Amino acid sequence: MRAVTLCAVVDVDKCKGCTRCERVCPVLAIKVKSKKAVVDVENCLGCANCEQRCPEMAITMVHLEQSRIVQESLAEVDMAAVIDLCRRAHLHPKQIICYCTATRAEEVAAAILKGAKSPEEISRRTGVRTGCKVECIQPVLRLLHAAGITPERPARGYQWYGLTPTVWDIPEEVKKKYAQRGFYFDEDRKLLDSLVGASEKGGR
Amino acid sequence: MLRAPVMPLPPRRSQYGVAPELVRKRAAELPDMVSVLVRDLFPDAAPVIYPGEGGLEVIRTATRKQMEKVDLSMIKPGDSVNVLGSHHGFTLLGGAPYAEMLKTIRDVVRERTGCTDIRLRVGVGLRFRESEEYIKSFGLDEYYEGKAAGVAPVDEGVAIETEIGTLYGIKKIYDARWIIHAHNSDVREVHFHRQVDRAVKPFGMSYARIETRSTYHQNLGPRAANFVARAIFDSPFVQEKFACAIFLMMSPSGVVGVDADNDLYALNDRVTYWGCRDYGKMMTLLGEIDEAITILDFPSPVPYVFAAGVIFANFAGANRDIFDLDDPLPPYTWYTEAFYGEDGRPLIEGVPPVNPAIKVVIHNYAWGGYPSAFFTEHIPTVVVGREQAELLNRDPQNISYTKHALLAEDLDTAVCFAKRVAGTDKILAFDGASGALNISRSLGEYLLQKAPLVSRRVDEELLPKWLKQRGIDPSRFKIC
Ligand code: SF4
Ligand code: SF4
Repeated sequence: MRAVTLCAVVDVDKCKGCTRCERVCPVLAIKVKSKKAVVDVENCLGCANCEQRCPEMAITMVHLEQSRIVQESLAEVDMAAVIDLCRRAHLHPKQIICYCTATRAEEVAAAILKGAKSPEEISRRTGVRTGCKVECIQPVLRLLHAAGITPERPARGYQWYGLTPTVWDIPEEVKKKYAQRGFYFDEDRKLLDSLVGASEKGGR
Repeated sequence: MLRAPVMPLPPRRSQYGVAPELVRKRAAELPDMVSVLVRDLFPDAAPVIYPGEGGLEVIRTATRKQMEKVDLSMIKPGDSVNVLGSHHGFTLLGGAPYAEMLKTIRDVVRERTGCTDIRLRVGVGLRFRESEEYIKSFGLDEYYEGKAAGVAPVDEGVAIETEIGTLYGIKKIYDARWIIHAHNSDVREVHFHRQVDRAVKPFGMSYARIETRSTYHQNLGPRAANFVARAIFDSPFVQEKFACAIFLMMSPSGVVGVDADNDLYALNDRVTYWGCRDYGKMMTLLGEIDEAITILDFPSPVPYVFAAGVIFANFAGANRDIFDLDDPLPPYTWYTEAFYGEDGRPLIEGVPPVNPAIKVVIHNYAWGGYPSAFFTEHIPTVVVGREQAELLNRDPQNISYTKHALLAEDLDTAVCFAKRVAGTDKILAFDGASGALNISRSLGEYLLQKAPLVSRRVDEELLPKWLKQRGIDPSRFKIC
């Protein structure tokens, strides 16, 4: 769930049309048209990625007159399917996967089951990836992968590059090679498995 | 051995914090505050070269001397070299010693190799312009002849093939023939890296794209995650470019030296030994505190505010031995945070609570730019000043930080309220004061009494265990 309180505003005098903002926007809400960046106000989630990366300092974040909430509802979704998808991605449905917005795996799973096919679409529906913009891409890609979806990368964008390994993928020879150096692969896998397998209500 | 409070460095002007003039009073100015030197707590702490009478010249000399040990013959006059830095280096002692080391590295590389295409690339955490601010304020752009840049994890990436699969670095970090890893040994977020491969970690963080950082924080688990950095560093792609590493060696008392090596793992072992020993003592001592009001008062995001070389997040986890790798989960990491359900209770058994000794947190001065709502959800928090609350409300990473916090007009009111509700007069300020803790008299006396036992326990019992878990033979370091 994401409370949207800000929106990006471009100073067209400063904008040089470099497209950096377009390449980093997690919801594709800013586009360069006729060599100037234009914000799609309806879809901007106020994450400030464009403001933070614009080399010309041409973007400022302004308060919206009316804030809004972005959230995927769990009401009309088959919860058994949500739980199953989360577990196939090795995630507990209630596990937080985006620390800034406290988005839980189940919300992203619901968005996928309701038709979202890319990280950008998922972000537009849930707000995930619009806080720090850094830490939550992998669980999103894992859930898409578990749903059998191979998303398409935004053309020329830097939004994301690809799925990376998990503790369930570490080769045995790597585990053996580094066993004496403080890497607790199997123990951590056990910990994460216990989370994935925990009941919906928690472990108490 | 309690002294007058050490005045912390002044607030820093930054887009991530309120304007310095809005920080109207520092914790060190409160009545009854005193200071205890790290050296008075732990007389065997490693001697400090900075701060000291020699000023920054000492850093320059130490960097030059250490760099004499490293082979730079692989760098040819026509080559390009990227000196890789990290924003955290600039939060240490005001940033000047780290900046001085970065300047000296450039001079030495130029003198010894004849190479003129030397660039500085400084990685960031979650505040993408922070490095740019430091580059400007320390004149590094001019020093590197316009070739200094802050790089962010959302910048253009490069795929790196590793032993465990494809991971992603930041293209601009690796766009030179050679790279020099210029970091520091402060253990800061030991709750994440658990002092495993500390010297290697920036390859999985400061120099890495979002995919890699997300792998570290989401895909592997709290103790296996450190392998991400090693996997990248060991890749043929990085090994082919790696020239050497130069570290500002930190301790809770200040800069203890500079260390340099062509072998990063040899340097890593030294960092591990000293980190476990000196920071281990300070963190174990914090774990002895039974109750305290904590004041955040330093230009860094909430978990990263400093006191005697350690950070608030370390205190939030001090109810457990966060160096002990047999303990799966510290009281605070993002893995821990992810494991709490909507009702605020853990989803699985065995999730340690946030340090119950922290009765109230007073947010007198700390930045946004790091998801910190976990702290206000778990610890009663009073934010000082509307401007500060507004700063966090505007921060996309902290939309719900103030939802669980109270607001006070000024620091005195906040402290008065905190003392009343917490029923304690023990105060610990995380204000970055150098080589000392600024604390209330009652807490100072308490810590002086506890420190000798802690020191002995770390030396005799904990340090050998911590080093064994990390595959390090302590006898190699006994002469130090
Ligand atoms: S990043 Fe800045 S300069 Fe570049 S197109 Fe966007 S607004 Fe314009
Ligand atoms: S990057 Fe963020 S702030 Fe900028 S347009 Fe996109 S959603 Fe809005």
